[in-house]
Amino acid sequence: MMIGRAALEVSRMRRLVGRTGLVLFMAAVGLATPAIAVNTHTVVMDGTRFIPETVTVKRGDRVVWVNKDPFPHTVTAARAFDSKSIAAGDSWSYVARESGEFAYVCTLHPGMKGTLIVQ
Amino acid sequence: MRIAAAALCSALALWVPGALAQPAGPTDPQIAAIVVTANQVDIDAGKLATTKAHDKEVKAFAQQMITDHTGVNKQATELVTKLKVTPEENDTSRSIKQGGDDNLAKLKTLKGVDFDRAYIDREVTYHQTVIDALDKTLVPNAKNEELKALLIKVRPAFVAHLEHAKSIQAKMSK
Repeated sequence: MMIGRAALEVSRMRRLVGRTGLVLFMAAVGLATPAIAVNTHTVVMDGTRFIPETVTVKRGDRVVWVNKDPFPHTVTAARAFDSKSIAAGDSWSYVARESGEFAYVCTLHPGMKGTLIVQ
Repeated sequence: MRIAAAALCSALALWVPGALAQPAGPTDPQIAAIVVTANQVDIDAGKLATTKAHDKEVKAFAQQMITDHTGVNKQATELVTKLKVTPEENDTSRSIKQGGDDNLAKLKTLKGVDFDRAYIDREVTYHQTVIDALDKTLVPNAKNEELKALLIKVRPAFVAHLEHAKSIQAKMSK
């Protein structure tokens, strides 16, 4: 009889731990979700061009410029952002916190132009 | 109609033997040698200019030429190695090398603003020549698609270099 009661207690404990574990897991997912929800946009630098040439993002989104050319480029918008030199094969990331339309260039190859629109 | 057709036939008759008589364009191994030599010539001129240039902008331009053309040559060398293409020297690559050597010899005799002017003038003609060669000879004759794609990919950078050199040239002539 005593053994039977003890077994019942253990089983109750297991269920409780199981439920708590599930709640904790869901809480963790809930906390992690906002970080995952930030959108990341990629602009490729290839053939001395920004591809796509215009990228539209929401405030708080991240934009990553990836240099696929064999030489450096920059992502430079006057008074807004400046990556400085991004070496061949490297990338530069920027979180768009200010809304507006930003025309930018590669200062090393000034004919290379792009636009970042932050809504 | 008959006259037009006859005219077309005679035009073709004239054109075909003419086309056949054209010297064959460069092969891929020859194109590889032309590309590597052309880049190297500009790297060498850039190295001299980083030590001898007077103007800060000319010096920065020379440094960028070293960086960009070294990058292009690295990628070109990696590609031809992958494709197992051995660069083959030819009249064009030899003439580019000779032109580069002559330019270095001339630049070494100059100083200050005279050096800057001569270096930038040469950069303008050099980049224009390379772009013309890409458009008229190298891209149309490249057989391997990856080699052709690399030539097309680097062309806009050469155009940017040409524009940059021209803008410095314009400032210096004021």
